[in-house]
Amino acid sequence: MSQFFTLSVLIATLATAIKFAVPYLLAALGETIGQRSGVLNLGVDGIMLLGAFGAYYTVLETDSHLLGLIVGIAIGLIMGVLYAVVTVFLHAQQGISGIGIFLFGLGFSDLLFQELVGTTKPVKPLPTLDKLPGVGGIFEPLIEIEYLGPLLFDHNLMTYTAFLLVPAVTWLLNKTTFGMNVRAVGENPQAADSLGVSVARTRFIAIMFGCVLAGLAGATLALQLAVFQHNLTNGIGFIAVALVYFGAWQPRWVMAGALLYGLVTATRLRWQSLDIIPQGASDIAAMTPAIITILALVLLARRARGPAALTKPFTRH
Amino acid sequence: MRLTKLLKLFSMIFAIALVAAACGGDDDAGSVTTSECGSDLGVAMGDSVTDLSVALVAPSAKDDVAFTQSMVDSLKRLGIDPQITDGTFVVEEAAAAIRGYAEDGVNIVIAHGTQYGGSLAEIAPDFPETSFIWGTATDTQGLANVFAYYPEADQGGYVNGYIAAALAGDIGIVGPVEAGDAVAYIEGFAMGAQANGASAPSIVYTGSFSDVALATTTAQAHADNGVGALTGTSQSAVGAVTVATANDLPWFGTQSNTEAWSSDLTVASQVYHWDIVLSDMIEQIEGGTLGGEAMSLTLENGGLVMEFNGCYDLDSDIRDGAESIIADIIAGDITTK
Amino acid sequence: MSAPVLQMRNITKTFPGVLANDDVSFDVHAGEVHTLLGENGAGKSTLMKILFGLYQQDSGQILLRGETADITSPTDAIEKRVGMVHQHFMLVPTLTVAENVALGLPSDRGLRTDLDAVSKRILSISEQYGLQVDPDVEIWKLSVGERQRVEIIKALYRDAELLVLDEPTAVLTPQEVDDLFVILRQMTANNTGIIFISHKLHEVMELSDRITVLRNGRVTGDTTPAETSRQQLADMMVGREVKLAPDKPVQDLGLVRLKLRGVTVKGDRGTIAVDNVDLDVHAGEILGIAGVSGNGQRELAETIAGLRPAEGGSVQLDSTDLSKANPKQSRAAGLSYVPEERMKDGAVGEFDVSENLLLINHGDKRFLRRGLFNFDAIRTHCQKMVDDFAVKTPSLTTPTSSLSGGNIQKVIMARELESSPAVLVAAQPTRGVDIGAAEYIHSQLVVQRSNGVAIVMISEDLDEVLGLADRIAVMFEGRIVKIVDRENATKKDLGLAMAGAG
Repeated sequence: MSQFFTLSVLIATLATAIKFAVPYLLAALGETIGQRSGVLNLGVDGIMLLGAFGAYYTVLETDSHLLGLIVGIAIGLIMGVLYAVVTVFLHAQQGISGIGIFLFGLGFSDLLFQELVGTTKPVKPLPTLDKLPGVGGIFEPLIEIEYLGPLLFDHNLMTYTAFLLVPAVTWLLNKTTFGMNVRAVGENPQAADSLGVSVARTRFIAIMFGCVLAGLAGATLALQLAVFQHNLTNGIGFIAVALVYFGAWQPRWVMAGALLYGLVTATRLRWQSLDIIPQGASDIAAMTPAIITILALVLLARRARGPAALTKPFTRH
Repeated sequence: MRLTKLLKLFSMIFAIALVAAACGGDDDAGSVTTSECGSDLGVAMGDSVTDLSVALVAPSAKDDVAFTQSMVDSLKRLGIDPQITDGTFVVEEAAAAIRGYAEDGVNIVIAHGTQYGGSLAEIAPDFPETSFIWGTATDTQGLANVFAYYPEADQGGYVNGYIAAALAGDIGIVGPVEAGDAVAYIEGFAMGAQANGASAPSIVYTGSFSDVALATTTAQAHADNGVGALTGTSQSAVGAVTVATANDLPWFGTQSNTEAWSSDLTVASQVYHWDIVLSDMIEQIEGGTLGGEAMSLTLENGGLVMEFNGCYDLDSDIRDGAESIIADIIAGDITTK
Repeated sequence: MSAPVLQMRNITKTFPGVLANDDVSFDVHAGEVHTLLGENGAGKSTLMKILFGLYQQDSGQILLRGETADITSPTDAIEKRVGMVHQHFMLVPTLTVAENVALGLPSDRGLRTDLDAVSKRILSISEQYGLQVDPDVEIWKLSVGERQRVEIIKALYRDAELLVLDEPTAVLTPQEVDDLFVILRQMTANNTGIIFISHKLHEVMELSDRITVLRNGRVTGDTTPAETSRQQLADMMVGREVKLAPDKPVQDLGLVRLKLRGVTVKGDRGTIAVDNVDLDVHAGEILGIAGVSGNGQRELAETIAGLRPAEGGSVQLDSTDLSKANPKQSRAAGLSYVPEERMKDGAVGEFDVSENLLLINHGDKRFLRRGLFNFDAIRTHCQKMVDDFAVKTPSLTTPTSSLSGGNIQKVIMARELESSPAVLVAAQPTRGVDIGAAEYIHSQLVVQRSNGVAIVMISEDLDEVLGLADRIAVMFEGRIVKIVDRENATKKDLGLAMAGAG
């Protein structure tokens, strides 16, 4: 027990939590935008898997992380178009369509992996700041700072991207005309339509944001873990959707949820590694992150009332 | 549905673009081998031992460098190219596949997963002419047309642990779900490590066979705690191997040869050679006995093989020590449970 | 005189099987209020949907400011300076006033919103027209009257020269209606043309400059308040002579049949909806309960009917204590209930007319033979009820949901009165019902009154309450804040009490 409460172990646990939270955060932020426009996407996990495989395979072949991330984004865009056409223009039931996207992503990413790779070979993981080509030297002294260094600077660029996206998405939703349109079509599409706001266009773009971030989340996951495998995400996309709900559709609470989920996971694994949680309790320990995160968010962000038009296809009459 | 069509289209494209992988390497027997550094790990197709048709249903991918691949490789050694349904972690899907193969008249259906036992108890009696091979399991549930198999994974675990203790005092273990051969391997490993003077290894079960992110995070926690060596089991262990690589920690594999994941840091792998028991079973089946026996893999019968990595520069004293431990286990002078 | 703001010429619009607008012509001048009056289904809303670009006319022409206009979408209408305040507000409750106003308009700052500039202009508009509203507050925090002001501001912000208000007074208290009329007059003074849609005759008489009456898709009257009367307007709407207020014989109050003491009830959200209410209702009396919707009337009615348990107090019918009664016990004691939500609580839509008529007493011996339904007896009985209550239905086996609101209400009334109740609770008995059916329902209530039934009539329509009730109680925030005899009641006092200021 005492071993856990040394500052360095606490810091290491926190730093792990932050890294762990990144794919969840990226996917959940994207889903937040989509849901605020009234579109639920249960296919996030499938898009993440496709993005993850695309990025992994690209890095395996080209050794370029940047290309890998771009491929992840591109896959998100393609899947976004598919999902938007089905749900916005063909008015398909969102829950079922999302599950369809998930199953497609799960099966197709595995198929591609089997055909193109077979046995997973680790690739270079995303470099932390100090290992960035060219500029890494600038960050080296920062990482050396006691405690703060490992906590704040021992991360890759996607970690910073994900957390900077929190204020960016907040700004997008609250301070731009697009964000205002998103909120309006998610709440009362008839009203928005009566003022000439195109519900279809607004939702289409919101879905694009969501799917691009899902693709990027998958890419980031694969490049953080530096491998790909069948069902690499293990349901991260579904937890991200849950984080959006329990985070009351607000980016900062969604971030808090992702961080808390990461922190509880990192802590329970750390405690198991230090024998604080006895063997035999691993099944219960494995459930704690979800339970604690949901409880905390329900208590803290409980003013939650979802977008009124969430999951409702819009037709004029 | 529109999606299935798409999927079919895409799979056709990729089937055309499929590049056949070349296989090489030699066929080794015995309880200890050493890979030639830089050689291909692929298992060559052996001479076919039977004309019976064989199907395999397995929970993870056929090239998972773990549980399922060990079975695929074992069948290859027997010259068998089975029909495969893999990735069926969902038991209902596996049950449907098992029944399907039996209905199609396949002679031998291998149900490669402890969790399929319940389904098998329902299916096997419906197809008395079909032989089912099920593992890992230590008994056949009293079914006349079921063979069972299990690895004494604690034996190779003990050897791995013994070697690890020679390299590091503190060792981290990344376990999946607290069940089956994972527990046997991990407890054998801990025993061997402590027998060779290491402190009790730190054991974490992530709760998942497949969650790479959890395995990675666990291995990172071990590394942060200052361990000097890592081991782990299941297909999710690849995440732990990447941490071993990043932190330059020796790695010990099990189930399949994990040199596929890290050719530099894998010291040794305990590899399951199911072919040892499978050939016995197939012989019995051809003789008309369709089941009723449980068989185990051991170092003694050659079902468990310690494969040392030719690329890893292991001190010859340690290697010699390991080999004498193996001999002692085979001789029954050391118990690993 | 300049060209009218709007001219609709010979508009005809058919839907499959229905002639919704038949050669309708109608114009609005700048600075005038032109009322469109008609029953449900008379063609008012079709005409307005054509004006707003939601439908296209089959034939006929629309001219705006003298020029032919081709309006194909709401955006198109807005750009041509036509504004519309829908009966169901087109507002986003989670957005602020300023955001709702700015929605759909380009921002001066490109991608970023320019809400501070929008707020400034809203304030100047609200000053000009006396439309008090805080631009930075979210819609859900506003009262219904304030929300309506936002809708008007939305139109004014877009420089509407013609504003359509669809039943704008339906949701307002009398005071809010007065406020609205002040605002509308201010707008006409600024040369805005207004189309006012309503079926409340006294409001139409008060506000309009001109009145066009529609019936069955055709114009049946084009007049001004000076040239007509409420009675004439009603006759034009219905197409025959209508009795606006039923003749109510003078009669003495009987004994108290329904007695409420200290009744306290919780609403759906767990807050107190009815707060310590005392009431006595006498045989042969109609007690009207007035109030703005949502002040506890529905909960009170449900408690009397045994549908909602009281937290405290007692409900007594004659000598029977109904405080803990379930609906069956209440009915057995002689209580009948016509609920507010007629399709939700009053009738089963997919059941046919006879099934709904028999909903309560289907176990009655009269309709059974050896334990099975006696369909001959049922048919005879139901046919008589349908005839007695003048229910317009193609047959007894027609699904009830396909009847008009007025006829569904008649089916419910017929069923509820069949058992000769001691007490009748009727909630919003004529809401959404056309004038002809309302007239009939009112006459039935008077008949029951003459029969010595104690009647509680809950209504948001003050004219209805004043026309029928012998005594009037006003509910506000769960309490009875005023109770007066009809002779001593004035609309103004009741209105003030309804707003909590009585």
